[in-house]
Amino acid sequence: MSDLRVSIGGFFTLVGAIVMATGLVSAPHAPLDRTNVNLYSGAALLGFGLVMLWLARRVSR
Amino acid sequence: MTLATVDYVILALYFAFVLGIGWFIRRRVSTSEDFLTSGRSVPVWITSLAFIAANLGAQEVIGMCASGAKYGIMTAHFYWIGAVPAMLFVGVFMMPFYYGSRARSVPEYLRLRFDEKTRALNAVTFAVMTIFSSGISMYALGLLFELVLGWSFTASVLLSAAIVLVYTFLGGLTSAIYNEVLQFFLIVLGFSPLAILAVNRSGGWSGMAARLPAVMTHTWRYVGHASENPMGVELFGLVAGLGFVLSFGYWCTDFLVVQRAMAAESMSAARRTPLIAAFPKMVMPFIVIVPGIAALALSKLALGYSIPAKPDGGPNYDLVLTTLMAQFYPSGMLGVGITALMASFMSGMAGNVTAFNTVWTYDLYQGHIRKTAPDSHYLNVARATTVVGVGLSIATAYLATRFNNIMDFLQLVFGFVNAPLFATFLLGMFWKRATGHGAFLGLLAGTSAAAATHGLTLAENKGGWLGAVMHVFPSTMAQNFWIAIFAWSTCLLVTIAVSLVSRAKPDVELRNLVYGLTKIPHDPDLAWYKRPLPLAGVVIVALIGLNLLFW
Repeated sequence: MSDLRVSIGGFFTLVGAIVMATGLVSAPHAPLDRTNVNLYSGAALLGFGLVMLWLARRVSR
Repeated sequence: MTLATVDYVILALYFAFVLGIGWFIRRRVSTSEDFLTSGRSVPVWITSLAFIAANLGAQEVIGMCASGAKYGIMTAHFYWIGAVPAMLFVGVFMMPFYYGSRARSVPEYLRLRFDEKTRALNAVTFAVMTIFSSGISMYALGLLFELVLGWSFTASVLLSAAIVLVYTFLGGLTSAIYNEVLQFFLIVLGFSPLAILAVNRSGGWSGMAARLPAVMTHTWRYVGHASENPMGVELFGLVAGLGFVLSFGYWCTDFLVVQRAMAAESMSAARRTPLIAAFPKMVMPFIVIVPGIAALALSKLALGYSIPAKPDGGPNYDLVLTTLMAQFYPSGMLGVGITALMASFMSGMAGNVTAFNTVWTYDLYQGHIRKTAPDSHYLNVARATTVVGVGLSIATAYLATRFNNIMDFLQLVFGFVNAPLFATFLLGMFWKRATGHGAFLGLLAGTSAAAATHGLTLAENKGGWLGAVMHVFPSTMAQNFWIAIFAWSTCLLVTIAVSLVSRAKPDVELRNLVYGLTKIPHDPDLAWYKRPLPLAGVVIVALIGLNLLFW
């Protein structure tokens, strides 16, 4: 079912982009951590979303 | 903990997507079977992930993290000797009968195999139980969000219930299953960074092991005697009670999870559903349990983090997960984490609602109230039941705010009802001599035995209401395991005894329902990773590896 892959891929691409952008604009850190969590986790979410979209595209061809 | 605009944007985006999936699926629903059983057309990767997600409710996620902080890595027994072996069993041995019988629900299988009264008993208790558990988890979620985020209880309960209602009403089981896949990925991706950050901050696994008592970082080393471990359980109770009776009883007979596999597009896909699901299930402890252990280790470091306390000063483990999020997630990822929590709640609730729907419409309404009607009538009933089911869940959530004791009592009673079930299915599927009278009386006897065990034993001041106390357990967990063992054994013996003196169904009526009268498919043409036995073999090897690694 390529359409579910599109939905999941679309969702995580958007969320990943938003979170990553938050990390790029400012680097607020949580009390116990110094790393830019938003930047790295956002990139991972974005990557997952793009892979899902690519899988959907590959199947529909 | 306060959320920023970006967090609300992520939450809103999630709501939009789940509703959108429901909207797209609605066009696929034209019969009651489309709505209630997905018309047996869902691809296997989707049913597999839904199989785990339906069980991965908010209480599961919060509770496993809490148990991690309380009991350590021993909590992983719920996965590594509990869920996963049971999932292998249902896929390899039981699915041929569930799927092959063409039954539309687990209670309906009981009618085909045994008789109407056995089905009615199972259907009624199951229906009440699903409403009750979705209400209780709604209550837990509302309470948590009120405490942590300051949201109004009514607002979070009604908003989340309304969204689940809309997408299950539109697309039925298919919509619930598709959304469960999205929710599964969100839970995994939303909580994994937390696990990594928390473990990293507490010095990695070795750093945690150095700061905690050894019992917190070993699964098997301290189960020789109940006094050696914080769970208060010993080897036999753990393996027989949790590993065999309770886990097999849940994963192999509970329609909530079995329904996902029965929606698969073919027999082979139905059998592979729990087997493929076993792979992600095996690694879930690293995402849901390990953060709890890390939290305990963090509280031993002078970082300013401590395990949250209850008003009376005792540790409140249920808040461990959310306090960890507040410590490690800045706005942005915090939104993802809160959304993941919301997603876990919704997947659990949709699982309950869709299972309730099918059992009510097919087993109770069609079975007892109106036996013949055009299919469109049953489709309307099913849609109306979705609304009623969600309404009853909300009512239960509000009841729980006022009568907490009744809820505890009901939970106990449901435990008694569930404990013997696996014996009934085991005999039903593998012994053609088992009869309807035997199954029915066996279930009643098993439930009575469970209640009697609870009434005659004591653990942490629970039980003992029959007057005489014959045994004192070191923990309620040990008591639960032993209640299950007694209930299962009683059900097994009574079912066998009654079956032997009552008349069995002739072989022709048992085709595709019992071992020996059912053709078990062997697909030699398929690649090895598409066949049940080799897949199960790979899972077993990985499982042994995990148990040895954390021995």
